[in-house]
Amino acid sequence: MGFLKRARVKSPWILHYCTGGCNGCDIEILACLTPLYDVERFGMLNIGNPKHADVLMITGPVNWKNREVLQRLYAQTPDPKVVIAVGACAATGGVFHNCVNTLGGVDKVIPVDVYVRGCAARPEAIIDGVVLALQKLEEKRSGGVAHAAGAR
Amino acid sequence: MTLTWPIIIAVAAVLLAPLVGGLLRGLDRKLTARMQGRLGPPLTQPFYDFGKLVGKSRSVSSRASIAWVWSYFLLTLTAFALFFLGQDLLVVFFILAFAGGALAFGALSARSPYARFGANRELLQMLSYEPILLLAAVAIYFQTGGFTVYSVFEANQPLLPFLPLVFVAVLVALGIKMRKSPFDIAASEHAHQELVRGVYTEYSGPHLALIELTHWYELVLLMAFLALFWVQPLWVGVLIAFAAYFLELWIDNIAARLRWSWMLGASWGVGIGFIVANLVLLSVLL
Amino acid sequence: MSGELLVSLLVLLPVAVAVCCLALRNAAAQKVLLLPAMVLLMVAAAALALRVLPEGPFALTPAAVWDNIVAVLDYVILAYFLYIGVTSRNGLVLGLAVVLAVLLPVVQFGVLGGHVAVSPVFHIDALAIVMCLVISVVGSLIVLYATDYMPAHEAHLKLERTRQPQFFFWFVLFLGVMNGLVFANSLLWLFFFWEVTTLCCYHLIRHNLTDEARENALRALWMNLVGSVAMVAGIGLAYNNAGTISIQELVTGGSALVLLPLALFCLTGFTKAAQAPFQSWLLGAMVAPTPVSALLHSSTMVKAGVYLVLRLAPGYADTSLSLLVAIFGAFVFMVTSLLAIGQNISKRVLAYSTIANLGLIVCCAGINTDLAIAAGIALIIFHAVSKGMLFMAVGVAEQQIGSRDIEDLDGLAARRPVLTIAAVIGMLSMLFLPFGVAFAKWAAIEAAGAQAGWFIAVVTFLAVGSAATLVFWSKWLGRMLSGPVVETKEPKPFLAYGTILLLVSGAVGLSIFVTPLITVLIQPALSGMGYDQAFDVAGWHLRTTFGFFPPWALFLAVAAAVLLPALAARGYRKELDPVYLCGVNVDGPELWFTGIAGEPVQATTGGAYWTQLFGEARLTPLSNWSALVLLVALLAGVILR
Ligand code: SF4
Repeated sequence: MGFLKRARVKSPWILHYCTGGCNGCDIEILACLTPLYDVERFGMLNIGNPKHADVLMITGPVNWKNREVLQRLYAQTPDPKVVIAVGACAATGGVFHNCVNTLGGVDKVIPVDVYVRGCAARPEAIIDGVVLALQKLEEKRSGGVAHAAGAR
Repeated sequence: MTLTWPIIIAVAAVLLAPLVGGLLRGLDRKLTARMQGRLGPPLTQPFYDFGKLVGKSRSVSSRASIAWVWSYFLLTLTAFALFFLGQDLLVVFFILAFAGGALAFGALSARSPYARFGANRELLQMLSYEPILLLAAVAIYFQTGGFTVYSVFEANQPLLPFLPLVFVAVLVALGIKMRKSPFDIAASEHAHQELVRGVYTEYSGPHLALIELTHWYELVLLMAFLALFWVQPLWVGVLIAFAAYFLELWIDNIAARLRWSWMLGASWGVGIGFIVANLVLLSVLL
Repeated sequence: MSGELLVSLLVLLPVAVAVCCLALRNAAAQKVLLLPAMVLLMVAAAALALRVLPEGPFALTPAAVWDNIVAVLDYVILAYFLYIGVTSRNGLVLGLAVVLAVLLPVVQFGVLGGHVAVSPVFHIDALAIVMCLVISVVGSLIVLYATDYMPAHEAHLKLERTRQPQFFFWFVLFLGVMNGLVFANSLLWLFFFWEVTTLCCYHLIRHNLTDEARENALRALWMNLVGSVAMVAGIGLAYNNAGTISIQELVTGGSALVLLPLALFCLTGFTKAAQAPFQSWLLGAMVAPTPVSALLHSSTMVKAGVYLVLRLAPGYADTSLSLLVAIFGAFVFMVTSLLAIGQNISKRVLAYSTIANLGLIVCCAGINTDLAIAAGIALIIFHAVSKGMLFMAVGVAEQQIGSRDIEDLDGLAARRPVLTIAAVIGMLSMLFLPFGVAFAKWAAIEAAGAQAGWFIAVVTFLAVGSAATLVFWSKWLGRMLSGPVVETKEPKPFLAYGTILLLVSGAVGLSIFVTPLITVLIQPALSGMGYDQAFDVAGWHLRTTFGFFPPWALFLAVAAAVLLPALAARGYRKELDPVYLCGVNVDGPELWFTGIAGEPVQATTGGAYWTQLFGEARLTPLSNWSALVLLVALLAGVILR
C-alpha cells in the first residue's frame, strides 16, 4: 500500500469552483498553471469534473443560489478528498461579510480542510495550501469521513 | 511457425506494456510541459495518477457502464495479445474496433449528456480512423503477401520505402486514436476539457485507472504497429515509432481542436487518399 | 425418403399449407396448422441436406406437362400484373407489364421456339441446400413468430374482419416459391418462381391497405418488373448466344457470349436485392407488418437476388464484368451504410443494413475468388439469422412500446430486459468480429485486398463501409443498454419470444461453430460451383494463404471480455450515484436539473444522426446517380467488349 499512499499525494487533481467571489482568486488559481508557477510539477491538474477530482478548491463566500451546487459537487467528489477555501471571502465572507445574499464562507456549507488567506490569495500561498491539503489527504483513509478542523 | 516464441513474446509484451505505455505518457506530459516553457511533472507521473485512482472510492452511475469499461480493457488486451502473437492484422483491428465500441457503449449507457455526446464523437472518430487502419493492413498485404504481423517479419524488405504515404495516413489515425489535438473531440487526453471529459465523465477512481491502463496498451499497440513499417532490423522501426510519437506531441501542442466534420474530411481526404495514392503508385510503378 | 418426395415436399407443402390458411380465421387454428407444418418443412430441408451433402448434386426433371403448366401460369401472373397496372393507374407498372407481355412471347415462342427441354429442370447442389436451409429454417421460424404477431397487430388496428387468411396465404406461399427458385436450373422455371416472389411480395407489402402501403407495394412491383424484363431479355439472349437456358450449362460453358445475358441476370438480381438505385422499394416495404420485413430481409426475396448473382459468379469469373459487379456491390455497401447513420427509424436502419450486406454479398460474387465466394455464402447464412431476429425483436418492441423510433428505444433495457439482451446480441453479431457477419466481412476485405489493380477501389469502399457500419449499429446499441428503473412486467408471447431466442442462439452458435459450418456446408457449395477450398481448417482454425482467423480462441477471449464484466456488474448492488450535471441536479429523479428560473428541467440527449452529412436528402441522389452510372458502365462494358 506504500505506493498507493504515496501516489495519493503525488497526484492531486483539482476541481476549482467559484461560489460568487470577485474572481480575483480564480485568476490567481489559474496563474498557478502558468509556466511561472507550473503546479503540474507536483502532478496537480486542473480538472473539470468532480468525479475525477481529489481537491476541491473553492473561492467566494457562497451565496444562497450556489450553495446546493457546492454541496453536490462535494458529494460527487469521490473519497478521499480535501477542500481548500481560497481567499478571504471563502474563509469568512471577506469583503462580502454580512451581505444578505451570501452565507459567509465555504465552511458554512461543506467541511473545509485548509484555508488560504489573502484577498486575493497569492499563487505561492495557494500552492502552500495545496501542500498542506495533501498532508491531510495522506491521513485520510479511502472512504473515511473524519474531517479535521481547518488549519491556517 | 511454432507457437512457443510468439507466446513468450506476447506474455512479455502484455506484462511490459503498462510500464512502457506509462513511461510514454509520462514523456508526453514532460515534453508537452517543456514545449510550453514549463518544467512539467516527473516522468513517472502517470503511475502516480494510476495508483491514486486505484485507491479512490468509486462512484458508479450505471451498471452497464462499468461492465463495458471492463470489456473495453479486456478487448483491447485481446487485440494487443493477438498482435504480439503475430496474428492477422485485420483481426486485430476488428477486435480493437470492438474495444472502441465498448468504450462508447459504456459512455452511452451512463445517460449523462456529456458522456453521450462524447460517445457519439468517439464513434465519429472511429468512423475516421477505422478505414485507415483497415486499408493500411491491406497495403501491408500488397507489400508482404500476407495479412499477418508474422508475414511482415518474413518479408525481406522494410515497408516504409514502399509505403511512405500509408505511413503518413497511419499517423493521422494515430493522432485520432491517441486523442491528440486537432482530433481530441471526444474527450481529450491531459486535463484539457472537452464536454467536461466526454466519454470518461462518469467514470471515477478505479474505473478511470482502468481506462488509463487501457490507453497505455493502446498506445504501445499503435507504436508497435508503426514499428512494423521497418522491421529489418526492428530497432529502426522502434526509432521511427518514437519519432512519430514525438511528431504527434508536437502537432498536439501547435494545433487547435478541429470540428468533427473537419476531422472526417482530413482523415478521409488525407488518410484514405494517401493510402489509395500509395497503392496505385505501387501497382503502376512495380 | 426419396429425393423427389423431399423436393416436392419443400416446394409444395408450403403451397398446400398456404391454401389451407385461406380457410382459417382463428389464431389458435392457425397455430395448430402452422406449427407442425413448419417443423415438417425444417425436417424436410434437413433430410434433403443429409442426402445431397454426402452424395453430391441431385437432379430432378418433372414431367413435361409441368413445363406447360408453368408457362400458362407465367401468363396468368402477367395478366394479373397488367390488371394491377390498369386498376391502380400506375403507368410504370402498366408499361413494364406491357413490355413484359410483348417480350415474353417473343422470347418464348420466337427465340426459344415454343418448347425447350432443359435437363435437369431442378439441380440441387450444396449452394441450393444452403439457401433451402436458410429459407426453410429461418423462414419457418418467422412464420411461427407471425402467428403471435398478427393477432396482436390486428387487435391494434381494430379490424372488423380479419385479413389474416390472406396474409398467411402469401406469407407461407413465399417459402415454397423460394425453395423452388433456388432449386431451379431451367431459366424458365427460375423466371416463374421469380415472378411469384414478386407477386407475394407485392401482396404482403400492401397488406395493411393504407394509401402508403398500396403505393409502396406498387413501387416494389415496378422495380421488380424492371428485373423481370431484364431477365426475360437475358433468357432470350442466352439461348440465342449459347443455345441453352440451363443455368449450369451457362455458367460452366465458359463462352464470352454469355456475358451479356449474365450481366442482365445480375441486373435482375440487383433489383430484387434492392441494390441502389432500386433500394427504395425495400425501404418502403417497412409499412407492412414486421414479420413481412423479417421475411423479406432475411430468408426470402432479397436473398433470391444475391443468390442469383452468386450462382452465376463462376460464369463471369476473371472478366471485367466481375470487377464491375464487385465495385458496384462494394459501392452500395458503402453508401447504404453511410445512409444508415442518418436514420432514426429502427426499421429503416435495419433496411439500409440489409441493403449494405446484400451489396457486400454482391461484391463477394464480383471478387470471385474461393475466399470471396465462401464469404458471400457465409454472409447469406449469418445475415439471414441475425437480421431476421433483429426485425422480429424490433417488431415486438414496436408492438409493446408503440414506436419504431430509435429515440424511443432509449433505455429499453430497463423496460424489456429479455428483448434488449436478445437485440443487443443480435446487433453485436452483425457488427463485431468473432461473429459470423463480421467474419464474412473480414474474409471479403482480405479477398478483395488479395486482388490487385482496380480492386483497390473495392477495398476502399469496403473499409469505409465497414467503419460506417460500426457507427450506425453502435450508436443505436449503446443507448438501449441502461435506463431508469421502471416496474413493468415484460409480456412474453411464447412463439414470438421463443423464435427470437432460437435465432439469437443460432446467430451465436453458428458463429462459434463456423469451422464445421464451413466444412459441412460452405466448402461443398464452393466445390459444387467449381471453386477450390477457401480455408485450411486444421485445428478448427480458418487459415487462408495470407490470413488467419481462429474462431474458437477469439470466442473464448471475447466471451470472457464481455460476459464476465456483465455478470460482475449485475452483482454490483450499491446504490447508483447521480450523473454529473454541473452540480445542479434535482434530488431524486434521474437526469433532472434545476433550470435558470429554479424550475426542474429534464436533461435529454437525443441520438446523433449528422443528417447534414449522412441524411437521405444529401446522400440518396448522390448514391442513386453513382449507382446508375456504375450499372450503365457494367452493361456497356459487357456490350462494348
Ligand atoms: S478573496 Fe478577495 S480576491 Fe478573492 S475572490 Fe474573494 S473578494 Fe475576490
